[in-house]
Amino acid sequence: MNAIEINNLTNNFGQKQALKGLNMTVPVGSIYGFIGENGSGKSTTEKIICGLIRLSGGSVKLFGKDYTDADVRAKIGVLIEAPGCFQNYSVWNNMLLQAANLSIKNPEQEVVKVLKTVRMEGAASNKYKNCSLGMKQRVGIAMALLGNPTLLVLDEPINGLDADGMRIMRDVLLDVTKNHGCTVVISSHILGELEKIATHYGIVRGGKMIREMTAKELDESCRTYVALQTKEMSKAKAQLACKYSRVEEDESGYIRVYDAEKPEDIVTYLYEKDILVSEIKTAKIGLEEYYIDLMNEKGGR
Amino acid sequence: MENKFEHNGFGKRLSSMLKVDFRRMFTMRTFYIIAGACFLMPILILTMTTMFGGEDSMAGTQPPSTSVTTQAEPMFENTWQIIGSFSGGAEQDTSADTNADPAAMGMSMDMTTMCNINMLYFGMAVLVCLFVSEDFKSGYSKNLFTVRAKKSDYVISKTLVCFVGSAFMLISFFVGAMLGGAIAGLPFDLGTASIGSIVMCMLSKIFLSLVFVAIFLAVSVAAKERTWLSMIGSFAVGMLLFMMIPMLTPLDATSVNVIMCLVGGAVFAVGLGAVSGVILNKTRLV
Repeated sequence: MNAIEINNLTNNFGQKQALKGLNMTVPVGSIYGFIGENGSGKSTTEKIICGLIRLSGGSVKLFGKDYTDADVRAKIGVLIEAPGCFQNYSVWNNMLLQAANLSIKNPEQEVVKVLKTVRMEGAASNKYKNCSLGMKQRVGIAMALLGNPTLLVLDEPINGLDADGMRIMRDVLLDVTKNHGCTVVISSHILGELEKIATHYGIVRGGKMIREMTAKELDESCRTYVALQTKEMSKAKAQLACKYSRVEEDESGYIRVYDAEKPEDIVTYLYEKDILVSEIKTAKIGLEEYYIDLMNEKGGR
Repeated sequence: MENKFEHNGFGKRLSSMLKVDFRRMFTMRTFYIIAGACFLMPILILTMTTMFGGEDSMAGTQPPSTSVTTQAEPMFENTWQIIGSFSGGAEQDTSADTNADPAAMGMSMDMTTMCNINMLYFGMAVLVCLFVSEDFKSGYSKNLFTVRAKKSDYVISKTLVCFVGSAFMLISFFVGAMLGGAIAGLPFDLGTASIGSIVMCMLSKIFLSLVFVAIFLAVSVAAKERTWLSMIGSFAVGMLLFMMIPMLTPLDATSVNVIMCLVGGAVFAVGLGAVSGVILNKTRLV
């Protein structure tokens, strides 16, 4: 069974069509990285899943039931844009309010547990409005985790988190999926972080899903390249461009050769041109580069 | 992996929603400010009007040689005036024909009709508008409506909680009025009314507040986070219905008044509750 099945989803904001027949399949127990440019329809899709905005057409099923099913919806944890907390309430009171909303038995214990999980137990008495951006984001995550949800919908949850916060976030998401069978849909522009945890990806553009794949499929479709450094970078780049079809210099000062089969061939070739290679390695492109390549491939850039 | 979902019946859903709303109302500073104002207002009105109402000095507006001091009618002659007027006019005739001239029935919009417990119905608009708009402003509506597919839970709970809040306001005002009357030294002469009719009057007012709460709630869910819009809308609708308050809830109210207000309140709460539910279902919640 799939946790989420979306077919031909459309949504109109007046004249503007935000979603143009989006399809999406999220398997149960997966961490689904939902990627796309700003305004591509990620947040709109997530809001529809959570029942916060209406769909104009298509269907959304959660665990095989319609997304309006009250019993299924009662088990969704959500963090969309910013945590929904009252500014003048303490973190503790905000959490207790959400615990009451979820009809949690022993709410105090449960709140203590989730606050510990996100390492916010020391700040429980702080007024929410006095919390930093990162702390607010942690509160939002803790709130989403209340009541052992079966589906977590997180929109940009990593924004504002420090390195420790990001690590906690990773650990929490891996724990809830592996040990509690929770399914996570997470959208983020920080693709490097997403790559560390996601088991499935969905790439959306212009209100349509342009690719869905598993992490394994992504790994297989990510090309390997050879990265090298010499003392004569521009000369080496020019020489390599004569032999290989795609040669680029990356931000870290390496020349990347994408269609080379063996690194030693490059070393030999450059040696013949009186260029000495000081460092050479093979690597794979990551999610970020894959995404950028895909976007370029699909046009519009 | 099979996911089993616990069935949440209406009762369970409503009770959890009520818990949230009652917790919110009783931890909301604004609620205590409004309730406090309701308590203090009659004390201030009764003491101030009695203190300054009995004597109206014309000195300063006339030449010194012609300075006169006139005796003005005090605004309140009886403590009960701040709670309501008699259905049968100033002479407290409880058997008056309800089709009679409103002025003759004591229903004319004089200062005592305006400056009494009935003005709390506008205070209720403030309470409902702030209570609802804060859900949307804070983003709490995201948490709320994600786990609540049935919008009727929200509407029923908000109606009930705001109704209780309104009852608190009316009772606070009543207690304040009694205290204010005692401080101001105004008589507590019941006339043709009795303690029973005063109780009926208060019950009528409390049940009538359901009508107003339902209206304010519908306006507030339509306006969502725009507090100013919901307040303006609520005040406008409140103004239109203001005249019916003294008519339906006189000091000499009987069980008929109570039943009328209860039935009216229930009808409005159900009807406008359905409207509020439709608004929530058909519009964006974030």
